[in-house]
Amino acid sequence: MKTLYFEEVEEGDELPPIDLLLTKDFVRTYAKTAGMDFPRFTDDEGARQEGLPGMIAPGVLSMGLLARLIGEWNQAAQITRIGTTFRSPVLPDCHIHLLGFVTQKDAEQHTAECDIWMENDDGERWVIGTATVLLPTRNS
Amino acid sequence: MALEFDRSILGQVFDETDFPPVEKTDLLRFADALGETNPLYTDEEAAMHGPYGGLVAAPTYVTRLRPKKMTPEHMPRFGKVGFDGGRDVEIFAPVRPGDRLKMVSTIHDIYEKTGRSGSMYFIVLRNEITNQDGQKVAIVDHRIMQR
Repeated sequence: MKTLYFEEVEEGDELPPIDLLLTKDFVRTYAKTAGMDFPRFTDDEGARQEGLPGMIAPGVLSMGLLARLIGEWNQAAQITRIGTTFRSPVLPDCHIHLLGFVTQKDAEQHTAECDIWMENDDGERWVIGTATVLLPTRNS
Repeated sequence: MALEFDRSILGQVFDETDFPPVEKTDLLRFADALGETNPLYTDEEAAMHGPYGGLVAAPTYVTRLRPKKMTPEHMPRFGKVGFDGGRDVEIFAPVRPGDRLKMVSTIHDIYEKTGRSGSMYFIVLRNEITNQDGQKVAIVDHRIMQR
């Protein structure tokens, strides 16, 4: 965990990627914790009955993981806005990669804009998004 | 041709939900379920010395708050199937243990996009969350895609 000040962040900086195996148990635990204990998120057979190929991860789980990506890059980055588009169902028991970089800095607001996304081993971007983070300054 | 629907439904409140006080264990479980490692969300002792002076919720905790009525009674339908298109979250204040949150839900926007595979329709449900002090905590926009 580290703290990066506004002055130390540069446009183009990459956020250290998170690579993880998204297991069905991980998805089920999230779904139950988040009050989304529905068959499509917990059970292959139940999901198939809803016309899905198998259980999927809730979109907001992907969003939560992308917020975690920002927190692991910079513990002091305060997310003031995060927006995600769910482009494709996320089927668990696969490796996912969470990636991002800083696209813009605002010297007046002490904020940075980031592009963030989740992709699979083939580089397909299943979830894309952007976030605005407020950063501490050396002078404050 | 502009998308046709009764525009008076935009901005109409279709649900108001008051949640029980936020429990510390719920915040910790939520952070754990995401694999969070940031001590501001996972370690009460360490968070005491952080910028919020105590444990706070992981940023997307507000997306787990569900209105009593998930969709309006007269939710327009433009297609045969609906998908979860995405979320946009604006965060104004942290969620802390003991907070009593209130959520007001409206249909915020309806629009159409045309792509290679044809027309897609988006209905944006907006959830505005405030705390016991009337302070705005977050706005969560839920984009439902129909085609």
